[in-house]
Amino acid sequence: MAREAKKKKSTKLIALSSANKAYEFNKPLEKSIKYQGKKVDIKLREDPNGFSYIVWKNKKYMLDVIEKNQNRYTIMVNGVWHSFTVETPISLKRRRFLEHQGVTSSVVSIEAPMPGKIIDILVEDGSEVKEGESIIILEAMKMQNEISSHVTGVVKSISVKKNDSVMKDDVLIDIQKG
Amino acid sequence: MKIKSILIANRGEIAIRIIRTAKKMGISSFVIKTAKEPNAWYLEEADKIIDFSECSNDTPEFLDIERIIYHAKDQKVDAIHPGYGFLAENPDFARRCKDENIVFIGPSHDAIYRMGNKTIAKELAKKNKVPLLEGSTGTVSDPEQARQIANKVGYPVILKAVAGGGGRGMRVVEKEKDIERMFNLAANEAEKAFNNPAVFIEKFVREPRHIEFQILGDKHGNVVHLGERECSIQRKHQKLLEESPSPALDPALRKKMGDAAIRIAKSVNYYSAGTVEFLLDDQNNFSFMEMNTRIQVEHPVTEMVTGIDLIEQMIKIAEGQKLSFTQKDIKMNGWAIEWRINAEDVQSGFSPSLGTIEKISWPKSDHIRVDTGVRDGSVITPYYDSMIAKLIIHAETREKALQQSSIAIRKFWIKGTKTTLAFCRAVLQNRNFRKGKFNTSFLSKELKIHYQQEPDEELLAAFFAAYDYAREVQEHEDKPLYVEKSKEITPWLLNKRLR
Repeated sequence: MAREAKKKKSTKLIALSSANKAYEFNKPLEKSIKYQGKKVDIKLREDPNGFSYIVWKNKKYMLDVIEKNQNRYTIMVNGVWHSFTVETPISLKRRRFLEHQGVTSSVVSIEAPMPGKIIDILVEDGSEVKEGESIIILEAMKMQNEISSHVTGVVKSISVKKNDSVMKDDVLIDIQKG
Repeated sequence: MKIKSILIANRGEIAIRIIRTAKKMGISSFVIKTAKEPNAWYLEEADKIIDFSECSNDTPEFLDIERIIYHAKDQKVDAIHPGYGFLAENPDFARRCKDENIVFIGPSHDAIYRMGNKTIAKELAKKNKVPLLEGSTGTVSDPEQARQIANKVGYPVILKAVAGGGGRGMRVVEKEKDIERMFNLAANEAEKAFNNPAVFIEKFVREPRHIEFQILGDKHGNVVHLGERECSIQRKHQKLLEESPSPALDPALRKKMGDAAIRIAKSVNYYSAGTVEFLLDDQNNFSFMEMNTRIQVEHPVTEMVTGIDLIEQMIKIAEGQKLSFTQKDIKMNGWAIEWRINAEDVQSGFSPSLGTIEKISWPKSDHIRVDTGVRDGSVITPYYDSMIAKLIIHAETREKALQQSSIAIRKFWIKGTKTTLAFCRAVLQNRNFRKGKFNTSFLSKELKIHYQQEPDEELLAAFFAAYDYAREVQEHEDKPLYVEKSKEITPWLLNKRLR
């Protein structure tokens, strides 16, 4: 039957948890998973009252789909919910790529860790900076402190000039992550 | 006077609970139908429905005193049972019933009023030698007065906003040197939060237990107590489970506290069912908190251990009957625990989880009682509380009750909404809870994770998500996929295409 043929065609899916943990299932419709290196059958059952459950290591795990929106799922197992997006290998790849893109387009602000006076600015607009590189010298409590970037990228804008006084958490420099 | 019909001015599980006893006593029951829950189960259990669903009043249905009175008279019902919440502790409602010659199944309006007023209640406790937290009589006007009172009652003390609530305008003061600063902080906070800077001062009890006593009194001056309920497991003053008896009490302390509760009740000539709440410190010193002049949510644990139907007693007392038992007839038999199963998301700070209960099922047995107002298809609405059911377990000992709770909770299945069941399991696994060593700080200090979970559960959830998705893809592949301009394109398919 065509339906049977299609069942066999079922392909690999990945359930990506909200903590970004990826669970791979080669043929989910065949109801078996790889567990500790071995292939284990999933005993998916429904009781006469319509409750779904899985028998796993001789114990019942009650299942409930709490939310389902396109490929986003919230599944409850024994009363505890877990959120996933279900991806194909291709969609996962694209998702990871887009996430990466998302990161590169974001701007990170370097803020003053304490109140003080700007002694020197070591970068200028458009400078490339590496994570850990010093970008500003801030004098505070009679000590000169090197403020370094915690990201790698390109200086997008500089909000202070030499001899400015700054308060704690004032934005000093915006960096386009890259 | 024999009551032949009762209007229940309430909904949900407590309406059904009252109907059950009414049926047993041959009394016909009337309930109120609202537009908010037109298909609720309690409506079907009653003998007659009074329809409020057309009413376009601003007052919520179960708070609409005049409408309820009007229909009670129109239907010629003998009595009104208010249940809990809503009008249960409204002295005006009790008085209106009396004025209209409708029996109010509860205490006198005078008792409701006096116990509802914190200042009067405290004075009555003091007059009747019931221990209460020492502190100011009324409000404290300045830091100096606060200092004097604090020195008298001893540190730590707590400053509380008179208009307060929700923990705002409250300051615990550990040492004398902090009292002035804390007084100003509390008063400022109270001013900002409630537009009223008035504060009072009280001895602060560190991590107390919450113990309450069930009282029954008749209209002939007889008052008995039916033992205590342990209600320390709370979250933001909301009880999550209750048991009777309490692991903290021995017979001597029970007698002392029970006698105090009876004195409080007698001070207002209390009749009907009522509850006297106490704080109990780690040295077993108790102090009076307040009296609740109604039936409580957690009344079933008392019914299970005493074998006394509290609703039946309330009705008989309202009829003017004398109590048919005395204090020495009341025996506490075994141990009962009530687990409140709420539609709440424990993983997101117990936020309410609305939705439809698609299916609900629990194990049936002699030692299991379930009080609920929902069944398959019932809706958890935003209008009322989030309680789905109360699971009550009764066994010979606490240990057995806990054991049977574990089994029953595992077999309590609810489909369609998030629930507090995994929280109940987490509590059951806690060692100090099992030992009976806990107090009101249990949730904030002792129970680190508020839900119980096993290692492979996320894996199984992941599998089920992938399986369900694969099944849907397959179903849609069996149909023609999509045709140009077809209206059959579903959003998820579109999503797939876009990818």
